[in-house]
Amino acid sequence: MNAELFLSASSGVPMYRQIVDQITAKVMAGDWPPGHPLPSIRELASASQVSVITVKRAYAELGNAGVIVTRHGMGSFVAESTELPVALLRTEFHQHLDALLACAARLGLSPEQIRQALDDAQSAAPTDSPRGNMP
Amino acid sequence: MTAAFALSGVSKHYEDFALKDIDLHMPEGQVMGLVGVNGAGKTTLLRILSGLTRADTGSVEVLGHVMPADQVAAKKHIGIASEDMRLFKTQTLRWHMDFIRTIYPDWDEAYAQDLLRRFDLRAGQKLAGFSHGQRVKALLLLNFARRPRLLLLDEPTTGLDPVARDEVLQVLAEVLRDEARSVLFSSHNTQDIEQIADTISFVHQGRLLASKDKEVFIDEWRRILCQGTWEGAGDWPEIAAARRNGSMLELKVRQFSEAIIERLQAQGLEIRSTEAMSLEEIFVTTVRSGAAA
Amino acid sequence: MSAFEINTPVIRQLIVKDWILFQKQLALCVTAGIVALCLIGMAKGWSFYLGSLLLIIVLVSAACFSISTSMLVERKDQTLAFVMSLPVSPLDYYLAKLVGSLITFLAPFLVILVGTVAVILLTPLPDGLLMLALLLFGHVLLAYSVSLCVAMAVESEGWNIFAMVGSMVLINPMIMLIGQIKSISSHFEGDHVVWNAPAISILLTQLIVSIAVLLITGWVHTRKKSFY
Repeated sequence: MNAELFLSASSGVPMYRQIVDQITAKVMAGDWPPGHPLPSIRELASASQVSVITVKRAYAELGNAGVIVTRHGMGSFVAESTELPVALLRTEFHQHLDALLACAARLGLSPEQIRQALDDAQSAAPTDSPRGNMP
Repeated sequence: MTAAFALSGVSKHYEDFALKDIDLHMPEGQVMGLVGVNGAGKTTLLRILSGLTRADTGSVEVLGHVMPADQVAAKKHIGIASEDMRLFKTQTLRWHMDFIRTIYPDWDEAYAQDLLRRFDLRAGQKLAGFSHGQRVKALLLLNFARRPRLLLLDEPTTGLDPVARDEVLQVLAEVLRDEARSVLFSSHNTQDIEQIADTISFVHQGRLLASKDKEVFIDEWRRILCQGTWEGAGDWPEIAAARRNGSMLELKVRQFSEAIIERLQAQGLEIRSTEAMSLEEIFVTTVRSGAAA
Repeated sequence: MSAFEINTPVIRQLIVKDWILFQKQLALCVTAGIVALCLIGMAKGWSFYLGSLLLIIVLVSAACFSISTSMLVERKDQTLAFVMSLPVSPLDYYLAKLVGSLITFLAPFLVILVGTVAVILLTPLPDGLLMLALLLFGHVLLAYSVSLCVAMAVESEGWNIFAMVGSMVLINPMIMLIGQIKSISSHFEGDHVVWNAPAISILLTQLIVSIAVLLITGWVHTRKKSFY
């Protein structure tokens, strides 16, 4: 199995985040189906030339997001759970949210202005969804 | 778990430089990057670990062996490469390879051949004709090909062209695959260290400023750009550096948390952006604020 | 230090290495030594004088080359750090250097010594001259040991050159001194080698001091703090 991910040192996105994103993308695209074993942390680190600790962190985040499960002594696998699409969608949502916030910061928007913009967008949207608190 | 090395209370005095009271240890299977300006003490530290220099005080243990008393046992499993270490000019690289091979039973000739090709070196050439970069690569080859459990590398990528540097980093990354092997390397190039090190240690003026997991390191620091008239930046211990231009205020913050953002907002500041910092920026900020303190 | 276990295989490799690095100078010295002996053997006034001079030059250069190849160049070319990064203790290194240097020096030294003995005994030269030759060889051996000791203990190149040149140049006063001791020098022109007490005691002193100096060097060396 080729464990190499394509990471960039100059993208500004932290390495662990790039790993999380790429593995998530691979899972969503079906490259790695549910139950598929992931490369070991050292294998992935070595092949992608990043530190072991960075991959550990990425795997921990993927585990928290429910994308992968780690079985002690056996390694990590793509989660079998039916919740997976939800978990991935949630991850994707957070990514968009991060991007939104970064963009807003560049525009110099205050948190109040962002909230206002969100409210406006939601009230303009056709479906009526209850307003939740942003984590 | 055995430690790859453990230093405790290590000091070494020279006429115009001193390494002071270093406590540092690295678990096996890790890659540690040593960051510091020229003359910070990186080389002295590596020399003490390799048994080339005896510390004045403190205890030094490498791969479970007390140094320098058990240096022979330790050095069988250590690979050492540093800028001021030269090979025999009148002999060929092949002669050196055979020389090392007779001394270390773990020499892997197939791997050596592979490295020759990847480092673009000619075994039949005499060392006198080698450029600086080729010398560095030759020394690394002699070390890598016997797969030592601990690699102590002083500036392994300095003076290499980008292609050679990438090749060296790739070979270093291959070492990661084996969890019993460890690497300690120093570099000016913080990008190299940021990429493959698990732990990062800052050395400055003979002292260890910090030694932490890289992810923790990077996570703890933020560059915050804000706007406002607040003048109290110098009083907050979390703020390592502050610059102002008109209403714009740039803060470099250690031990970052969301609470800091809230506290800054409470001072009437408008937060423009919060960004992670590169290792280089963190290092420069640490050295500057440390020097001022 | 528990450095008393000696790492023989690596020491042997280091000695072989020194031998290989020294080969060219060695061949040169032995060739020059044979030429010198031929000149001496011709037993003519001018050739004897020229041959003796060449012989002394060859002996002194063999000593200096051996020390400089194994010790000074190792330090100057920064190969010392490389050698010390191998699994060796300072004592191992000292032993390797000691044996390596002694072999590289004693090889030409002994070849020339045997040649000299043969030339004096087998040619019309007076056999009594052998004692003078032995005393001079003894001096070179002593001077070599002192220079080797300084080279191992002191890093300054200046002091090393001073020790080598100084101790070797002393061969001149040494010849004069021997000339003054009538009980030895009066037999030089004779047909027999005369082994009397003054001659033997000088030879023994040279030998014993040489060995003592080398042992002291080892003691100093294992207490050094840095090797690079």
